Amino acid sequence: MTRTPTLILVALAAALLLGACEPTYTPEQQLGQVESFTMYMGFRPDVQFAPFYVGLEKGFFREEGLEITLEHASESDMVRLVGTGEAPFAVVSGEQVLLSRAQGVPIVYVFQWYQRFPVAVAARGDLGITTPADLAGHSVGTPMLEGASYIGLEALLGSAGLTDADIDLQVTGFTQVETLVTGRVEAVVIYASNEPVQLDAQGVDYTLINVADYANLVSNGIITSEKLIAENPDLVRRMAAAFAKAVAYTIENPDEAYSISAKYVEGLDDPGVQAAQKTVLARSIDLWRAERLGASQLEGWETMQEVLLTMGLLDVPQDLSAAYTDAFLP
Amino acid sequence: MLHLAPPHRSLAARLTGYLIPLASLAIFVLAWEAFVRLGEMPAFILPAPGAVARKAITVTLNGTLWRHTWITLIEVLGGLALGTITAMALGYSIARSVAIERALSPYIVASQAIPVIAIAPLLVIWFGPGLFSKVLISALIVFFPILVNTIAGVRSVPEDLHDLMRSLNATRWQTFRKLEVPAALPVLLAGLKVGATLSVIGAVVGELAGARAGLGVMISVADGQYDTARMFVGVLALVVMALTLYGAVDLLEKRVLRWRAAGAGRHTALY
Repeated sequence: MTRTPTLILVALAAALLLGACEPTYTPEQQLGQVESFTMYMGFRPDVQFAPFYVGLEKGFFREEGLEITLEHASESDMVRLVGTGEAPFAVVSGEQVLLSRAQGVPIVYVFQWYQRFPVAVAARGDLGITTPADLAGHSVGTPMLEGASYIGLEALLGSAGLTDADIDLQVTGFTQVETLVTGRVEAVVIYASNEPVQLDAQGVDYTLINVADYANLVSNGIITSEKLIAENPDLVRRMAAAFAKAVAYTIENPDEAYSISAKYVEGLDDPGVQAAQKTVLARSIDLWRAERLGASQLEGWETMQEVLLTMGLLDVPQDLSAAYTDAFLP
Repeated sequence: MLHLAPPHRSLAARLTGYLIPLASLAIFVLAWEAFVRLGEMPAFILPAPGAVARKAITVTLNGTLWRHTWITLIEVLGGLALGTITAMALGYSIARSVAIERALSPYIVASQAIPVIAIAPLLVIWFGPGLFSKVLISALIVFFPILVNTIAGVRSVPEDLHDLMRSLNATRWQTFRKLEVPAALPVLLAGLKVGATLSVIGAVVGELAGARAGLGVMISVADGQYDTARMFVGVLALVVMALTLYGAVDLLEKRVLRWRAAGAGRHTALY
């Protein structure tokens, strides 16, 4: 072989190698707009986080130049991560915003995902407990003495002029269904989209009191930090836009959303759980519906603050206008 | 005949023994304060020592700290007692019977592979959210180290001493009381020291699975309210509790095993 073809081959190989090393950029990356970050959500992967899975699979986040990795942590940890700038966004319940801001954590609620407070009280069917006032004198189990469940219970009791002293309050941990079924307590605080499905599956006779029917409280939504809003408001806007598309698509296409979620949540493709988990998703969707997705209502924040002040968890009223904003909604 | 009495520490040496730990503590607190100030740490991440001290005073004066500490202490002492008695009884049986050892050991060892934090919610379901489930969880954590030390202690008794007791026509009870118990005590008490600190962990694990009161609840509720200073107070209270229990077992050990030091002195005096 002569030297010239060899040189051409070498040059071609070098060009191919260089081409392989050269990164491929999307248009957003070429403009330097792609943001990669970890999106924090509570507890563990669950069908109730379907919009995030949908957003990833349908490319809603990518369209807005967002490359997100999903992670799970406790609410208090997530608030601290966002407050210190370690994470740009997280999903937490509304009371976490007021409680943490009272301790100087600079977070802001920018997208109200759940439009109805999801906490409810399920009671043994034979007791005839259908209103908050009926809870007086009965044993009520709550998972813990903090968080949305306990605050929801206090709001429910407060709507009937009751306090903890009027019931036999028990702390059950996250074993509400088992505790109710085994008769250790007469009523339990639950998530309206979740535990009732388990109770129905076990054929348990129960009555349900939804906190949202008696108190308009702010529930789960996306938070960010004051620092991010000041330094990169466009990122906040893009996150809100992407998530709004994801929530809307999930609401309109629940079956597809379930199939997508099965890729992210172990066990959802098990025929034994599909019926129940699809019901959980359907009931969750009912809590998300709104004329304008993501919009907060001042009434919800005011009621939440009132409950926290009554419980003694807040010493003084907060500046609610600084705690949340709809300015970044599409 | 020489009599070598144990050496007495001078007053200066004893004072130095107390001052050094206090000085270390002071240096630690100063370093903590400096870290918070120089690092501009927000209070919800790392409160300054002064903030923790003020919170400690507040929760002490309003009764919150005593209420939670008392509950945890009951759970700890109950768990320590239940775990210790069960472990010692089973440990003695295993140490003295090959058949019992072969029957039970595999299950006991396997049970230790189960993380207590994973089964704590189940125990709350089975035994209710009251004190007993926390006592049980504490006892489960304490059980294994005391069991192992009981077995080791009983088996450490030299066989020739058993022969001596048999040659003196000692009854089973006399052998147990006058030989096995004194001989096993040093190892047993070492296990009890470990168990004493572990019992505090067990009580808190139980409280985090479901409880209305206790230092674990106090810490959890403070976490939910982003009151990190109060969390620190709860943690420090647990540390003090564990150290106090350890110290109590240490004192018990020194008292119960006095005869060892006296025996060593008499032995030395023979030469």
